Amino acid sequence: MNNASKRTRTSIIALQAIMVMLCLVVLGRIFYLQIIQYDIYDELGDKNSIRQEYVEPARGLIYDRNGKLLVDNQPIYSITITPVNFEDKNIPLLSRLLEEPDSLINSLVQDAKRYSRFRTSKLISDIDFKAFSLIQENLWQLPGIGHQIDSKRNYPSSITGSHIFGYLREASETDYREEKSIRLGDKIGKSGLELIYQNNLKGELGVNYLKVNALGQSLGKFSDQKNTKPPVQGDNLITTIDADLQEFAETLMKGKSGGVVAMNPNTGEILALVSSPEYEVKKLAGRIDKEYWQFINSDSTRPLYNRAISSRQPPGSTFKPLMGIIGLHLGIVTPETEIYNSGYYIRGRPYKDLADPGLYNMESAIANSSNTYFLTVMDKIATSGQLNAWSKLAKDFGLGIPNNIDLPSANRGILPDSTYLDQRFGKRKWGLGDVLNFGIGQGLVSASPLQIAQMTSSIVNGGYKIEPHLLRAIENAEGKIEQKSSKIEKIDWVKEEYLSTVKKGMRRNVLEGSGRFYAAIPDIEVSGKTGTAQNPFGFSHGWYTSYAPSENPEIVVTVFLENAGFASISAVPVASLIIEKYLKGQVDRQWLVNYVLNFEPKEDNSEN
Amino acid sequence: MNNFRNLNWSIFGAWLLLATIGLFAIYSATQGPVSEFLPDFIQNNFSKQLVFVALSIALVLGFQFFAPRSYMQLSYIFYGIGLILMICTLLFGVEINGAKSWIRIGGFNLQASELMKIATILATAQYLTSRRDISAENIRYAFIAVLMILVPTVFIILQNDFGTAIVFLALIPVMLFWSGLPYGVSIYIVSPALILYLTVFDWRLGAIATVLISALIFFVQKRPWLTFTSLITGIITVVGVNLALTDILQPHQIARITAFTNPAFDPTGAGWNVIQAKTAIGSGGLLGKGFMEGTQTQLKFLPEQWTDFISCVVGEEFGFIGLGLLVLTFLFLFLRLLNLAGNHKHPFAQLVTVSVAAVFFIHFIINIGSATALLPVIGIPLPFVSYGGSAFLTNSLMLAICLNMDLHKRDFSIYR
Repeated sequence: MNNASKRTRTSIIALQAIMVMLCLVVLGRIFYLQIIQYDIYDELGDKNSIRQEYVEPARGLIYDRNGKLLVDNQPIYSITITPVNFEDKNIPLLSRLLEEPDSLINSLVQDAKRYSRFRTSKLISDIDFKAFSLIQENLWQLPGIGHQIDSKRNYPSSITGSHIFGYLREASETDYREEKSIRLGDKIGKSGLELIYQNNLKGELGVNYLKVNALGQSLGKFSDQKNTKPPVQGDNLITTIDADLQEFAETLMKGKSGGVVAMNPNTGEILALVSSPEYEVKKLAGRIDKEYWQFINSDSTRPLYNRAISSRQPPGSTFKPLMGIIGLHLGIVTPETEIYNSGYYIRGRPYKDLADPGLYNMESAIANSSNTYFLTVMDKIATSGQLNAWSKLAKDFGLGIPNNIDLPSANRGILPDSTYLDQRFGKRKWGLGDVLNFGIGQGLVSASPLQIAQMTSSIVNGGYKIEPHLLRAIENAEGKIEQKSSKIEKIDWVKEEYLSTVKKGMRRNVLEGSGRFYAAIPDIEVSGKTGTAQNPFGFSHGWYTSYAPSENPEIVVTVFLENAGFASISAVPVASLIIEKYLKGQVDRQWLVNYVLNFEPKEDNSEN
Repeated sequence: MNNFRNLNWSIFGAWLLLATIGLFAIYSATQGPVSEFLPDFIQNNFSKQLVFVALSIALVLGFQFFAPRSYMQLSYIFYGIGLILMICTLLFGVEINGAKSWIRIGGFNLQASELMKIATILATAQYLTSRRDISAENIRYAFIAVLMILVPTVFIILQNDFGTAIVFLALIPVMLFWSGLPYGVSIYIVSPALILYLTVFDWRLGAIATVLISALIFFVQKRPWLTFTSLITGIITVVGVNLALTDILQPHQIARITAFTNPAFDPTGAGWNVIQAKTAIGSGGLLGKGFMEGTQTQLKFLPEQWTDFISCVVGEEFGFIGLGLLVLTFLFLFLRLLNLAGNHKHPFAQLVTVSVAAVFFIHFIINIGSATALLPVIGIPLPFVSYGGSAFLTNSLMLAICLNMDLHKRDFSIYR
């Protein structure tokens, strides 16, 4: 073998050795990836191509007490985004297809990025079907964009009920930071029953797995995944609302400002609850109408403000029956005690009394709303050092304490005691003059219409504390209905004789007192008490709280009308008609309905 | 003389096996469920490839009727035609995927650089073996040989086809080495590439390699000056790469290098290909997900899965068994080709066969290395497996030449 061929031999072996070595490196690498790291890459592969998708459950429905559907859901079309796959250069195309300005889409995209770059969230919802189909057709040009059909709240009944149902809004940044199950774009209850029962209504998110390609296009369900979970529909709410009554009350309150509460005095079930002006909860379903949202937030009539439960006004003379009960209990007066009204009660200064001069016992003092009588009672309570006892007793009727109604932002009102007055005026800086008019429901005493209805209920149901509530029962996804129990508790110090005296006075208020013009209903015995909350800024606010039938009442209706002047010609007919409607099922006094609908307030501050 | 029984059927068989694996992989990568996301012209790739495989079988067998002498003598003419085609490509070429490597001839895209591979190997081999006294040890001859390879390389770089240029450059040490370049010098020529590769990961690895290679050169060649030069070159490479990484390269270029050393750094950008390729292969496991069942392949997570990333398709759908078989088949082909070279008495036949084996091997290593993240991603097809008509045809032609010279080795030696 010569030198050259020896070199050839060596070279070939050297080259072959290099090739074998490098191929072994490659084989080793493949072995490492496919066998040793298999688990890692298998999972990565799955993550790549299988995308978790949430399936929104249907939100729970809301019914009235008779099973009439009040709130349900309606499909809407939405566009979703997964920012990590989305390219900002597609914003103009996207906004063109959606027929929305670039700036809006851009800000929505940035919001979605802030929420999460990897999780899919809703970009824009409630778009019209044409835009939705356009997007669908052009999905291939829009990586990271998806589409989805979901739902918005729909209100099939003819009631507005904005202050009962409340509205949904997309969860804010703080909402989804606080609560893990909330995602950007999720609609959550922000007021009313939607807020209070959010956890019942929302249901449980379902989880699906989808096969997707590298462009994020879905290729259908990936079924054999053990974690797949169907969505669970939200619980249905069966409310205590009587839809017909609610609708009627809303009609009567149109154009007025105030609140109405109709309640079953024996159970605390709320039959109708109106705060006027209302807002249109329909306009807040689906995509928020920004202009409307701004309007209801900034309008001077404050339509978002729930006057039925949140307003805090002196109850005026509607407070007198309770004063009577407390006076009897504290032994300051008996049913027979007579007090002379000269037209004024003079204590430091004169307090005007509009009731005809003469002698009044408790019954006639309530019937004719004599201030002198109740100022005298309050005077004696205060001067005998029983102010705090008075306050405590009155609180048993639901005033000045939270009432736990299942609606947000209910006001607890004020029922002063010495501690409160010390805080308010400073220790020993207050005197009889500040306390005296509590006896006629003026001054610092204040309550919401709901609280007055609650107080009235406890007077007329035989002295039982009730909890006002809107939820009757909850029906879960399997159709199981769970009745909601509410606590009813006897107020131990209240005696039947106190109540019967006061109730007689309230009956007479309808027959011969300030309620006599409009309160009485043919064939139905109605009782009630008017009141006026003095308003330093304009027309007085009118109060009327009433119940019927006078024996074994089935309904309490409290009406509060802002700036309406005389309660007897403003609030009284509203309550009277609601009672008629509820007990008779229809209203015979159409002339009175017309009167209420066309009511214009006339100023008179004098009535009590 | 054309006794087909003497044809090296084992190499022919390995070639056919690779082509078959390729056809399966191309079918899956373009006709499987993924076809939904692919444009029509890519969906046609399988049928086109099938035509080229059939053509190539005819070509390989038909080519055996030629005598080696014919193309030996014509090699310079081929080389000249090749260069003209390269220039035409530069002037009138069609750009595909950023590289201007194709010219359109009658509805058919021809990749001149593929043909140029054969022409360059033949011409350079012809030059280096034309006279007995020519040796790469002589700097003049070596220079001319290097020039013969560099000229087409420059054209290819101008065409923006970086992968193919690397293959040409790699031919230089192989061909010079075979033509008598001393071992030590050969190692020296190759060393910067290895040192560069290691330095990108860690400069210390580059430094260690520099010392080891210099020591090896000294051990093989016993030439202090060469050893010293090697040491200096190594140090310059290490320092240069570090400077390039920190100061010279543009951010997007650094991003590419980072994508290689640490793909997780930018998983949706520069690191995407590497991660998806590794995921495809890794998730294939031992047996693979099954033909047309690979999620990475069928859901289009792999880029260029019918060409540069075809090994990922094989790895994902046929697993370690399939990809291992592919690698072993290639290894078998390389080793057999080198054995053929060893059996030749004629230096031209030796040099051409070794060069062809080297070209296949470099393609193989860069392609699989890219897909398994052993190397940075360099777009280059896997011979006989990747889709590509020109490439398949010319690679087959190269193999046909090797087989032809082997078949005629007895009468061929007469021409010495």
